[in-house]
Amino acid sequence: MAKYGFLIDASRCIDCRACLVACSVENNVPMKSTRIWIKDSGVTGEFPNLERHTAPFHCMHCIDPSCVSACTVGALQKNEDGIITYDNEACIGCRYCMYACPFEVPHFEWDQQFALITKCDLCVSRLGDGEAEPACAATCPTDAIQFGKREDMLAMAHNRIKDESSRYVDHVFGEHENGGTSTFYISPVPFEQLGFPSTETMESPAHFNRIATEEGTPIIAVGAAIGMTGIYLAIEHNQKKNGTDKIEHVETKHDSAGKE
Amino acid sequence: MGINIKIKSFNALEGLPRFVYVLAVIAALGMSAGLYRLYAGLADTTNLSTVFPWGLWISFDLTNVAFSGAAFTLSMLVYIFHMHDLHAAVRPTVLFGLLGYSSVLVILFFDLGRWDRFWHFLVYPNLSSALFEVSWCIAIYSAILTFEFSPVILDKFKNEKISKIVQKMTIGMVIAGITLSSMHQSSLGSLFVIQIHRLHPLWYSLAQPEFFLVSSMAAGISTIIIGSYVSIWMFKQTLSEKIIEKLGSFVPWIFGLYLLMKIGDLILGNKLGLLFTSGMLSVLYIAELLLTLAAIIWFSVKKLRATRKNALNGALIIAAGIVLNRFDVTWFAMKSIDGATYFPSFIEIALLVGVTSGLIVVFSLAAHFFPVFSETLPVKDLPQSELVALKLVSIFCGRLMI
Repeated sequence: MAKYGFLIDASRCIDCRACLVACSVENNVPMKSTRIWIKDSGVTGEFPNLERHTAPFHCMHCIDPSCVSACTVGALQKNEDGIITYDNEACIGCRYCMYACPFEVPHFEWDQQFALITKCDLCVSRLGDGEAEPACAATCPTDAIQFGKREDMLAMAHNRIKDESSRYVDHVFGEHENGGTSTFYISPVPFEQLGFPSTETMESPAHFNRIATEEGTPIIAVGAAIGMTGIYLAIEHNQKKNGTDKIEHVETKHDSAGKE
Repeated sequence: MGINIKIKSFNALEGLPRFVYVLAVIAALGMSAGLYRLYAGLADTTNLSTVFPWGLWISFDLTNVAFSGAAFTLSMLVYIFHMHDLHAAVRPTVLFGLLGYSSVLVILFFDLGRWDRFWHFLVYPNLSSALFEVSWCIAIYSAILTFEFSPVILDKFKNEKISKIVQKMTIGMVIAGITLSSMHQSSLGSLFVIQIHRLHPLWYSLAQPEFFLVSSMAAGISTIIIGSYVSIWMFKQTLSEKIIEKLGSFVPWIFGLYLLMKIGDLILGNKLGLLFTSGMLSVLYIAELLLTLAAIIWFSVKKLRATRKNALNGALIIAAGIVLNRFDVTWFAMKSIDGATYFPSFIEIALLVGVTSGLIVVFSLAAHFFPVFSETLPVKDLPQSELVALKLVSIFCGRLMI
């Protein structure tokens, strides 16, 4: 099945925040806990050549998502469309995903009595209802957020950079970051300027996590169990061979009345 | 050669130390702070934030689990390696382990956003999650610790039949306990393997699970040595210097391995340069290495580990190294985002103090009503010279001491 993807073009974003409103309405959440927000370069340059760049930012929907790998109760899952879904019925609010995600995407409802994670699920229920696009993409007046098949979005990103090389830095953010994602960004300024997290590894941390949890832990467990049993039996055997009296655990004698 | 385990008849502990009542009040206050947090949510009661979703509570939990490693380390020495001369320390140590893990679970409960769903890990599995595995291991291991502690309770009620069954199952349970401990001690390190973008490279390592596992054994030994000293003035019971000396003699091996692994990690990870260029974090990392080295040297010298007081100082060096390491990994060496910082709130600290006080109260009550200190050495049997030294200290602490 074709995977979904986004192309977000910072050069087209006018910081109108219609996408935030759309997200708030679609997901029925207050504006302060939308699952999309604006990354802002701040004002740069010298007067009169001032510049300011913005870009909407939401879950990258990684190909090998670290949050899914980390989630204690499997509330975060990757579905067959490549969407990272979130099950608010399972989540226990441990916040491990917030440390696992290199893009600082999962947020937490700090002010709630029963607090959960908030994260873009690509309007999965809206798409299920037959709508063509997630709310943010449908709303964006300048087409800064575009939605479609992942490979189409990636091709479009490269085409735009090729066609207007003066307009963009030559970097499709999300193509290789974290082992590849489903959300691609192109921008007129380097992504660090927009306040994007720099992911130093091109391999998803999920990969390292699996080495530890799916390979390391079983080895340690089996090693400990076999090692301990072996050492115990060996010493036991040796002591018997050497005619050592079997060690008896002397029953503790004491007055059962305790203190009184 | 036969090993005789001579067990002294259980000395009923004299009245509870008075400060236990004070601690009980503090525990109650701390728990009320926790209840208030459940009511009010995390925003108003803690300083946790999007940048630092985990704080003091998690740092404390990880430290506490390391020190509670005393139970599996000692049971390994006594039951697997047949060092039955260390047996006198088993009961208090197992009780400490059990309560240590319990307090971790209590604090985790208050830490969860959906604390009403704390049991979800039982029914929603994610096999690649280190935290899922830690949850299961700690849950099962707590049950095993309860089993390992059960002879103390059975002793009190003199139930020979059940006692026999328990005794037969002991070795199997001990092996299961060590296996589960190896798993969760190391998996707590695995928690940070996924955080390559957050944890400072000096600490970030694929070998983090092994670092935590190995160091927890040294932490465990320090727990027993420090505990044997604390129990002098709390329960007028202690361990013989022979036991303390023997336990201490393992420290150079454990920490030696740990230090080699740490230095190997620095070299293989090409991180030696970072040791001198990371500012305050360099200082913290070097401090960890020096404390580890100091503990190795301390416990290598027989004179320094052979007396109760010297061993205590050595154990405090270990403890300082462990606390620093766990706080570094969970807190100090976490990269900030946008310059945000974290410092715990009053309620975060209050809950911690409360739960720790509660731990001591429950320990004291258990030791008061059950034969926890049945094989230990009563303080009154200590040599006169040592008693004098202890009495001097007691002047400062009033009723608390002898």
